Amino acid sequence: MRFSAKFHWGWLSLPFLLIVWSAIASQYPAYILPQPWDVAQEAVRWLKDGSLLLHLRASLLEEIGGFALATVVAILLGSLAGLSNNFRDFISPLNSLFMAIPPVAWAPLTMIIFGLGYWSIVMVIFIAAVFPMAITIQEGIQSIRGGEVRAARTLGADTWQIILHVYIPASLPFVTAALRIGFSQAWRALVAAEMIGASKGIGWMVSMGGQIGNSNQVLLGIATIGLIAWLMENLAFKRLEKHYQTWRVQ
Amino acid sequence: MAIQRSPASTNSNAPRRPAASLSMDDINFSYANGHTVFDGFSLHVEPGEFVSLLGPSGCGKTTLLNLLSGFQKPSSGTIHINHQPVHPEMPELGYVFQSPQLFPWLSALENVRFGLSMQKQLGVKEQLDKARHYLSLVGLDKVADKLPYQLSGGMQQRVSLARALALEPALLLMDEPFAALDAITRNNLNEETLRLWSELGQTVLFITHDIDEAIFMSDRVVVLGIAPQGIHSELAIDLTRPRANIDTRKLTAFLDYRTRLMSTISDVIHTDVTASNIHS
Repeated sequence: MRFSAKFHWGWLSLPFLLIVWSAIASQYPAYILPQPWDVAQEAVRWLKDGSLLLHLRASLLEEIGGFALATVVAILLGSLAGLSNNFRDFISPLNSLFMAIPPVAWAPLTMIIFGLGYWSIVMVIFIAAVFPMAITIQEGIQSIRGGEVRAARTLGADTWQIILHVYIPASLPFVTAALRIGFSQAWRALVAAEMIGASKGIGWMVSMGGQIGNSNQVLLGIATIGLIAWLMENLAFKRLEKHYQTWRVQ
Repeated sequence: MAIQRSPASTNSNAPRRPAASLSMDDINFSYANGHTVFDGFSLHVEPGEFVSLLGPSGCGKTTLLNLLSGFQKPSSGTIHINHQPVHPEMPELGYVFQSPQLFPWLSALENVRFGLSMQKQLGVKEQLDKARHYLSLVGLDKVADKLPYQLSGGMQQRVSLARALALEPALLLMDEPFAALDAITRNNLNEETLRLWSELGQTVLFITHDIDEAIFMSDRVVVLGIAPQGIHSELAIDLTRPRANIDTRKLTAFLDYRTRLMSTISDVIHTDVTASNIHS
């Protein structure tokens, strides 16, 4: 195979970003906008004393908690709204209302209710992820063609068999898409919520870096946030989604 | 494609259901908005008979099928299959729809097996054997592992036919099954369906818009009038079997039937004022 056949323009984007960053940073003193390699040194420092992993672990635990809760509730709400017109009519205005409010706006309230700590952050993540996930699942269920359900019935399937052998396999592509969307929404809200009120986590790391004037710490936090989101999106969710999407090629 | 194959009965060890009779007696059906579709409609089909229902849009074919499958209930009148009142889960009934309605996440073989695995009367191995058998009857054993989107429209409809036949229905309802296919594929599938019918011997009720198709396939063509007229007229098709595309379609008798049905259909459309308004 020739080199040109393998070449992918996407390989250029990260080097491009680093060059532009470096070029801009060269115009400023390092304590305002550090160079990429300054941040890399900062990363080594944080990794060596174990504090980066500590904060990452705290953030990931909150993410998993809120995301898992949102997934369960979204599957329930989305399926009901997909199957029942009345429930969909009832839930749609609420859904639009909650989608219109930036999730982090709830953070002060959840901190009053749950106190500073794990659950207040988990609740913000939950609110951020559950509504877009529910909508995606609802649209997926609605798109399941009546013809398939009817065909299954004429082939002797009872209601449970139709749920198990038609609705579930037919909705897997949408559920996996919902997981991807929900995870990224949850992750954004998590970082924002941690910046408002937390004593650890990647969001805290960024906001604390800003308060003490440590640009290296801020940029290290941002890079970590981006890296985790990118890894999850491309290595986990996109593959999962693709696996369940093959048959949808029309 | 008129290859003579050994009768299916030698390959399949399960006893097949004998062909069913169908009786629809004095059916009345109106929609909630007052639109009457059937007013004293009756239709009788003998066991093993191949009957086509031919009619313009608006003759009530869809409603008829919904009634036959038990998805809708007539306001009055009775529908019996083998002298039993009809209901949707009746194992005697098989369906082939206008679009294949395959399950896109299942392979061709798994689609054919679907009904067998729902009914759980056979072990997994027997289900797969039977599914393979019916897939080979429609000539698709080579694409057993392909997903529906990898198959052509004609192949998808063959899988759909095999899926219905795998349950060995005593009465097969075919709702314009080949209407969406090109003429060459349609002619091939017409011939192939007749070959399967002559091997398996179930009763077939075949709904179509296509006059040639109705003549080629049927023992009897029932022409429906615009709702709520019901049956306009019937025509017995006395052409020798097995029928083949070229040999049968060139017969003078075939052309005569065609001329008669064309004038009947034009009669149906022009005697009905509302219909000519709708269709003009």
